[in-house]
Amino acid sequence: MKILTCPINGQRPISEFTYGGEYRPMPDAQTATDAVWADYVFNRNGAPGIKLEWWCHTPSTTWFIAERDTARDVVIRSFLFGEISLQGGAA
Amino acid sequence: MNPLRKSPVHHVLAKQQPDWDLCNDMPTVLLFNHDDKERSSILGIADLSCLWRHGLKGPRSVEWLEAQNIAVPAVNSWSTLVDGGLIARLGQTEFMLEDGLAGNTARRIQNLLADRPDGIYPVLRQDAAFALTGAALQQLLRQTCSFNFMGLDVATRPLVMTTMVGVPITILPQESPDGVRYRLWCDGTYGEYLWCTLLEIAHELGGGAVGLNSISII
Repeated sequence: MKILTCPINGQRPISEFTYGGEYRPMPDAQTATDAVWADYVFNRNGAPGIKLEWWCHTPSTTWFIAERDTARDVVIRSFLFGEISLQGGAA
Repeated sequence: MNPLRKSPVHHVLAKQQPDWDLCNDMPTVLLFNHDDKERSSILGIADLSCLWRHGLKGPRSVEWLEAQNIAVPAVNSWSTLVDGGLIARLGQTEFMLEDGLAGNTARRIQNLLADRPDGIYPVLRQDAAFALTGAALQQLLRQTCSFNFMGLDVATRPLVMTTMVGVPITILPQESPDGVRYRLWCDGTYGEYLWCTLLEIAHELGGGAVGLNSISII
């Protein structure tokens, strides 16, 4: 059984979680060019690697960030969104 | 009898033609038959949906509850209310209060929240609520959840949000005069599915549905 760690509820089977897509810092909608905004809205990076992803612990609706190596499907760590720095990287 | 409030599992219970009474204006099963007490000691499942409950959440919910003289438990734990019933902390700033048969704290909080204080949001709770009792309790939990309940320390009053046969539930162990029992809540629309599935397993283990008379409510 695959186990994922929710920052609030602890280790739980993966069946209790919902994947919410890659975490991508949003550009400033007021100042971004059309090209930058279109890139943010429409394009996704499908290359395997270490990525920050949104996950939700479904029974408690706890949304959090998991840092996952998508090539090996290994979760390196998970933490609440508040720990993301203003620069868009992980704290 | 045509009450406005009905349990999410009302029509399933009604098929067994139990003894009813009104509790918080909701028909509630007091007794299925004279074997209730025995089933309760093996593996009993009781419908507690009639108990009055209300929720709240928001950034100011902790300080607001403390201002109402309600002791706020730690995240993922619960505590008893002074007039019976319980308060469960479902997150950093989210709570559910449930009255016992006699208390009225949850109802009082619901009335106070009608004024919509800043930073606090009332949460309507229309859960199906069950109590699980008996010696075979852990066998049922092992068959239905991917969570190790044996690892919990009941004395710390833990609260777990997990899934049971695929249904998101809130569940907590509770000391009672009859031993440790589990209380659980789920969205009312999943109530019948969860009730029937648990009952099927309970029957295999020698238990079954029990009325309110065979368990004590905290």
